[in-house]
Amino acid sequence: MASKFWTQGGSDTEEEETDIEDEIENGGAGETTAAAAGSRYLQTNASDSDDSDGQKRVVRSAKDKRFEEMASTVDQMKNAMKINDWVSLQESFDKINKQLEKVMRVTESDRVPNLYIKCLVMLEDFLAEALANKEAKKKMSSSNHKALNAMKQKLKKNNKQYEELINKYRENPESEEEKFEDEDEDEDEDESGSELEDPSQIAAESSDEDDEGEDMDDDDADGAWEKKLSKKEKLMDREFKKDPSEITWDTVNKKFKEVVAARGRKGTGKFEQVEQLTFLTKVAKTPAQKLEILFSVISAQFDVNPGLSGHMPINVWKKCVQNMLVILDILVQYPNIVVDDMVEPDENETQKGADYDGTIRVWGNLVAFLERIDNEFFKSLQCIDPHTREYVERLRDEPLFLVLAQNVQEYLERIGDLKSAAKVALRRVELVYYKPQEVYDAMRKLAELSEDGEKDGDETKVEETRGTSAFVVTPELVSRKPTFPENSRALMDILVTLIYKSGDERTKARAMLCDIYHHALFDEFSIARDLLLMSHLQDNIQHMDVSTQILFNRAMAQVGLCAFRVGLIAEGHGCLSELYSGGRVKELLAQGVSQSRYHEKTPEQERLERRRQMPYHMHINLELLEAVHLICAMLLEVPNMAANSLDAKRKVISKTFSRLLEVSERQPFTGPPENVRDHVMAATRALCKGDFQKAFDIINSLDVWKLLRNRESVLEMLKAKIKEEALRTYLFTYCSSYDTLGLDQLTRMFDLSDAQIHSIVSKMLVNEELHASWDQPTRCIIFHDVEYSRLQALAFQLTEKLSILAESNERAVEARTGGGGLDLPLRRRDNQEYAAGTAGGGGGRWPDLSYGQGRQGSSGRAAYTGGGRPLALGQASRDRSGQSRGYSGRAGSGMRGSQMDASARMVSLNRGVRG
Amino acid sequence: MATYDLTPRIGPNLDRHLVFPLLEFLQERQLYPDEQILKAKIELLNKTNMVDYAMDIHKSLYHTDDVPQDMVERRVEVVARLKALEDAAAPLVTFLQNTNAVQELRADKQYNLQMLNDRYQIGPDQIEALYQYAKFQFECGNYSGAADYLYQYRALCTNSERSLSALWGKLAAEILMQNWDIALEELNRLKEIIDSKSFSSPLNQVQSRIWLMHWSLFIFFNHDNGRTQIIDLFNQDKYLNAIQTSAPHLLRYLATAFIVNKRRRPQFKEFIKVIQQDQCSYKDPITEFLACVYVNYEFDGAQKKMKECEEVILNDPFLGKRVEEGSFSTVPLKDEFLENARLFIFETYCRIHQRIDMGVLFEKLNLNYEEGERWIVNLIRNSKLDAKIDSETGTVIMEPNQPNVYEQLIDHTKALQGRTYKLVGQLLENAQAQPAR
Repeated sequence: MASKFWTQGGSDTEEEETDIEDEIENGGAGETTAAAAGSRYLQTNASDSDDSDGQKRVVRSAKDKRFEEMASTVDQMKNAMKINDWVSLQESFDKINKQLEKVMRVTESDRVPNLYIKCLVMLEDFLAEALANKEAKKKMSSSNHKALNAMKQKLKKNNKQYEELINKYRENPESEEEKFEDEDEDEDEDESGSELEDPSQIAAESSDEDDEGEDMDDDDADGAWEKKLSKKEKLMDREFKKDPSEITWDTVNKKFKEVVAARGRKGTGKFEQVEQLTFLTKVAKTPAQKLEILFSVISAQFDVNPGLSGHMPINVWKKCVQNMLVILDILVQYPNIVVDDMVEPDENETQKGADYDGTIRVWGNLVAFLERIDNEFFKSLQCIDPHTREYVERLRDEPLFLVLAQNVQEYLERIGDLKSAAKVALRRVELVYYKPQEVYDAMRKLAELSEDGEKDGDETKVEETRGTSAFVVTPELVSRKPTFPENSRALMDILVTLIYKSGDERTKARAMLCDIYHHALFDEFSIARDLLLMSHLQDNIQHMDVSTQILFNRAMAQVGLCAFRVGLIAEGHGCLSELYSGGRVKELLAQGVSQSRYHEKTPEQERLERRRQMPYHMHINLELLEAVHLICAMLLEVPNMAANSLDAKRKVISKTFSRLLEVSERQPFTGPPENVRDHVMAATRALCKGDFQKAFDIINSLDVWKLLRNRESVLEMLKAKIKEEALRTYLFTYCSSYDTLGLDQLTRMFDLSDAQIHSIVSKMLVNEELHASWDQPTRCIIFHDVEYSRLQALAFQLTEKLSILAESNERAVEARTGGGGLDLPLRRRDNQEYAAGTAGGGGGRWPDLSYGQGRQGSSGRAAYTGGGRPLALGQASRDRSGQSRGYSGRAGSGMRGSQMDASARMVSLNRGVRG
Repeated sequence: MATYDLTPRIGPNLDRHLVFPLLEFLQERQLYPDEQILKAKIELLNKTNMVDYAMDIHKSLYHTDDVPQDMVERRVEVVARLKALEDAAAPLVTFLQNTNAVQELRADKQYNLQMLNDRYQIGPDQIEALYQYAKFQFECGNYSGAADYLYQYRALCTNSERSLSALWGKLAAEILMQNWDIALEELNRLKEIIDSKSFSSPLNQVQSRIWLMHWSLFIFFNHDNGRTQIIDLFNQDKYLNAIQTSAPHLLRYLATAFIVNKRRRPQFKEFIKVIQQDQCSYKDPITEFLACVYVNYEFDGAQKKMKECEEVILNDPFLGKRVEEGSFSTVPLKDEFLENARLFIFETYCRIHQRIDMGVLFEKLNLNYEEGERWIVNLIRNSKLDAKIDSETGTVIMEPNQPNVYEQLIDHTKALQGRTYKLVGQLLENAQAQPAR
């Protein structure tokens, strides 16, 4: 039966509308005339009301059910067409083919239902249109494009079977309809009477209404706007058939309840529900009621979201934001209305009108809605291909959300709910913290611009409302324009202070991390470091949720970059080295999925991982990060290697780096450097020989530097550092070949000033890295003959090995005898002595220096260089392995030094891991 | 030379009354125009009850004999309030002045309260009044009275919060009366309370520590033993932490104390690292001097900084304390500082040099040749320096100080023997125990 509606051609709907408009003018002229005038219109209404038609009920119900299913599939297809989603279109197409079989079975006829044919025609047209539109095709995402092509093939194949029928249909779309005409008229009579009583019927009606509208969209795209308007009017018309004055709070409330009750039921169109509810907001009698309905509208809009992984359609999202703003308008206008989700309010609470004095409670949770909206925004950015125009367009919506968040926060602050305000503030912080000043300025400008644009939009809106004449008119009280302070730091400060004061633990931790990130972004290393250390976030970040851990890793990475930019190489390396130790940087920063050869991920894990990816515009450039990490490692490791070339137990500062170096040294031929890694390796080779100029040139040729804001000064700093390390390396490597070395010569070789060289060399002398002393009158370094002869060096190695042997013997004995508690402290002391011995002698001088900086004062701020242990996340098994590694490190430290206080722990943790 | 003046940074952490000595000092040094200082003084006094003093200053500032009306009114008000408080606290005060009665008090607070209540009708209200009265006395500048009352109040008080603020008041009063020994005792008492007390937020605790450190500056730089004690206090992890986070300017005092104190070498090395790390947040000639000598090894720079340090010390209210000796007034700390700073430079210089031209050296140390030679000879004689003077070429030659390779090897292996013995002993013990079981 449904078929008769579908057979209706799109072309005649136009006329229909005029009919309806007539109807409106007639107003209360009575249903019968309207029915007579708009017979064709009404006949569409009848499509689903056949159940009430008693004659052939038994036969039809099974059949109808099939038809209904089919009709709903067609609906889905139309929706898919509307948003140009070929993937779901393809799915629906498969579904409808299956349903066709069923229908054929039920009807026991070999005649294909008209509905199906109509659908095919529609698809064909749409496909042709899509293929013709080359522009749009290019813009499609890859999956969508694939689906389009697949669809083309399928449709071609499929349509061959029904070629005849299709042609027939095209010739005469309405041939089928006429038969049913008379029957319908009877039904109409019944229906119009029962109009407001039967909710499902109304829902169905409006859905039909929709379909009709969409039909027209397909047929001629130009008229879309008019039709949308008309569609709304039609909807409304249903209500206005009654006299406006007759609409009471009760009727609206009843209808509202009905619509809400239909939520989530099978067969309830999600879009339709939104439409219905939106309409209801216009006829709401009291502000409280309007508010209540608006909350439901937003809930319904959230329902539109197709799945957990997909995001909300963007236009729905925008409407949702607008609705939220209207809610705020109402709340501001009527301060006596309280929104609460803790208590179930009175049934008739919303009946109280605008002039009611006491508080009116309405169920709802602004913060939850806001967070949901934010999540949807985030998700949409995750899903959209970042290289498309669409992504940029989407990013432009950010100020819109910021306005909303700002208003919600202001409102919450006004009513004194600081805890929720803090949550909202966090959302704002998370949108701002990663923006450098330039980006922030751009956003500010955009917000100002969009304000102008919005004005036009507002005007049209006003017209609209005039047309529909809402009962509760809500003036725009809250500002529709975000106010941004001049610089982002000021904004961050305001928000973060609020959060620190009244946020809960997680909110505070996240805000702190954002704050750290932001400080680091602005090159304020010491502030970022102090915040990081004072908050003790490193100690308990393991127990936090994955997304906070990601944020922590991001903050660490940014702090590392910042340290590098301000010239603190050792600190920078400390922050970044852990990030790179596992080779899973992408995963740790949630900027992509790293493929592991040894570990197959389950689809579940993969999905989880995909869901926590950072949107592209928030990424930290990985190439820059890698370059910085490797350069830091190079600057530390090269002199270290040179100083301890003979030392068997030499400490490796960066394992990643030395492994890379080994690999590159093993290569028989070295080509010109291509990627970041090659560049650094080439620079390392030059630096090992003390050739600072070449090393710097190679590093300088990296093109990641253009990403730095203060590129010139950073490169200058880098050059100075390279010179210094080259000098150190040179002295370490060749000190055995010299008896004396003149200051002037060094000045010439390394292009450094006298004072600088004097200072660097003196530092080495004092730290006993270099066994020499200055001869002041002649301005030269006199090397003492402490460069061990081969024999002596070997002897040292031997003694070291001996002590290792002794130690392992002891351990073996202990393991056998069960390790008496008495022996342990003794052994510890020995170990310490031994450690002291090696430190005093040949080994491990230079690393001590770098670790020494970790001490930095006190327990709270201690151990920075060692402290930054980025967190392993992802699979549980991996997580555990990461943890256990941490534990082993810690246990090791316990063994080594009995006196180590909390401050030394993090340092030794690293040592434990490395050693 | 006002650039290195710390008064604006120290002031907020002090009691109003404690700022006066600083302002006095500044006035004496003429770092700022007199007018400004007088205005600042009036500002300070406005919130206190020392109205008469404020009037005097007002007169000298504007060179008039007229006093603004609000000051006169305030004076009346203060006097009235003083009367009222005196009346309220009278019963307890009379009791306390009666020595016989006071002897009846015992160590048990509860007992005392009970007894006072029963026999003298002195309840909590009177005790509270005593506190208010003492506070008022302090505000009026009668520190000795305030100190006495606060002492007695503490003996009777049961409220720990109140007791703590009474202790602060007592400390301030003692400082202002310059009873350094007693003040030191109070300081230690306060420190214990701060360290042991659980504060509602760590921030409060840090703030209390900062206050304590600022107040203690008065004591430490006046007390004989203060310079070692300042290191003991400031260099504790918790306090150092507080300094680094909230009041890095205190590093100046700690640095000075370290330079003046020769015996604190192990802590000194740690402290150098702190200085190095905090260079970005605070810097003045004294810390820069240390950075020059121990971080960058820039001796020319160190020498320049040394000269600046002299100025800084003279202009610092705590460091530049003057001692009058007959007609001379000297700043003992300055001389001590310079002497030690010179030694620091020289020491480090010697460590990295084998041969030094004495002329250049003395120039770096701001000494003339004769003086310098004597100085070095003294160092050598006191076996502080392992060196010889080559007077022909005018150089000092350091004795090489290299550990012998063989000694090192022996050192390394010495422990092994002991360990092996121990191991064998353990094994034998175990082997004997085994059959017995």
